[in-house]
Amino acid sequence: MLLFFLVGNVIAQDTKQDTEIDSLVEAALLRKGFKPSKTQFMIRGYGHTGFTSTKSDTGHEKTKESTFDGGTFAPIFLFNHNDRLMFEAELEFTLSHGDLDVGFEYADVMYVLNDYMTVRAGKFLLPFGTFMERLHPSWINRFVSKPLGFGHGGMAPGSGVGVELRGAFYLGNTKWNYSTYLTNGPTINDGSDEPEEAGMLHFENLKDNNTSKAFGGRIGFFPFADSSTEIGYSFYNTNGTGEPGSEYEKTGAFLYALDFSFVKQISALSGLVDIKAQYNNSKVEDAFFTETHDDGDVEDYTFDNESNSFYVQLSYRPTMSGNDFVKNLEFVGRYSEYNTPEGAEWESQSSQYSFGLNYWLSWRSLIKLSYESAELEGGHGSHGAAKVKTFSLHWAIGF
Amino acid sequence: MKTFKIFGIAAIVIGTLATLTLTSCSVEQATAYKSRSGAQAWGENCIRCHSTPSPSSYNDVDWSTIELHMKVRANLTADESKKIFEFLRTAN
Repeated sequence: MLLFFLVGNVIAQDTKQDTEIDSLVEAALLRKGFKPSKTQFMIRGYGHTGFTSTKSDTGHEKTKESTFDGGTFAPIFLFNHNDRLMFEAELEFTLSHGDLDVGFEYADVMYVLNDYMTVRAGKFLLPFGTFMERLHPSWINRFVSKPLGFGHGGMAPGSGVGVELRGAFYLGNTKWNYSTYLTNGPTINDGSDEPEEAGMLHFENLKDNNTSKAFGGRIGFFPFADSSTEIGYSFYNTNGTGEPGSEYEKTGAFLYALDFSFVKQISALSGLVDIKAQYNNSKVEDAFFTETHDDGDVEDYTFDNESNSFYVQLSYRPTMSGNDFVKNLEFVGRYSEYNTPEGAEWESQSSQYSFGLNYWLSWRSLIKLSYESAELEGGHGSHGAAKVKTFSLHWAIGF
Repeated sequence: MKTFKIFGIAAIVIGTLATLTLTSCSVEQATAYKSRSGAQAWGENCIRCHSTPSPSSYNDVDWSTIELHMKVRANLTADESKKIFEFLRTAN
């Protein structure tokens, strides 16, 4: 009995000691180990992968292709120094045609000056409209593809290297946001290496080719207090796009964009309606370029260097449905056009219809099933027409 | 010519925006912005680009980091940003 009593006492004491130790350790960890530091480092980002099947018809040749897309991994690095200072960067790793492409999307430092002004410096996404700055990540973009006129070979600038001032404020009974920036200007393709792209603008110059910078900005306006509707105007201007001493040194360019967004849960439709639209226009000052014919003759030519593109997208998600499966479905349609200058070697007119059915697995992950039909006429020295039909099944996730 | 075009387009845009500003001025709206709760601002602003995030997706410290990133990226007002992320930190 005495033995049982002593052993029981020892066990009870040990249990009590263990509990005390546990609480002390917990308190110490809370105080030391898990106490949030003043600086925070975080990795976020997104990725996607899927399957794409394409049928192309040029009138005299029909081709079929299908492939599993290797996927894209786009990590975003956030370093929060304090409540006002942050560094952010995004890389994009893409497997394309058996190669690994690495994209340097942005890397900038930002400082909040006050409630109405934040300054950014470095390489940042340009607020030329809203698509490239806000909507292009694969877990946000409702389609696998970008609208015509955006991305590689497009006319809308995506990012720039320079400084930016931005902010948002209430004015009277309305809400506004603004951004204004000074970046390295675009470079005009003089056609010496790529005659089929003579007169085309190239953006994202990590190092400027002349002293003319690009000055641009965007102003956004919310007419209603529920922030459902936003109307924006953007511009991008430069006084010179060519190399110093070249005839294109003073060839300027002016681009502008109009964007519209309406997102609202509408009870009468039992769901969420999302409308997005953007119109882009680019005008480069007239310049002469050189064309070398097959027989060796050299000829100067010029053209009205004006391009435009637009897209309209409508999506509907029955978020108020009582069925869990149905409420995660999303129906989406998009139309886009892209027209490049008449008379240019890269003259083209293209249009695209897109239809999609998405299923949201969570707030940041979706499966995208889409069908696109595009018609393209001209482009890069070609004067033929092509019809391209694309079927895609992709899975995108933000993290 | 280019300057004329820039000012022409700017005048049209500003005129349109000014008209919309005047038409959107109402007593209801004057108080609507200021009386928006954090949950309302979260539901109305995040969804302009992406689905509304679940508050439980991140802890308080992570939300603070995301707060600065999104305030700048989405061009939120200081008032909206404060309300939205206070709500997320409270509800997670």
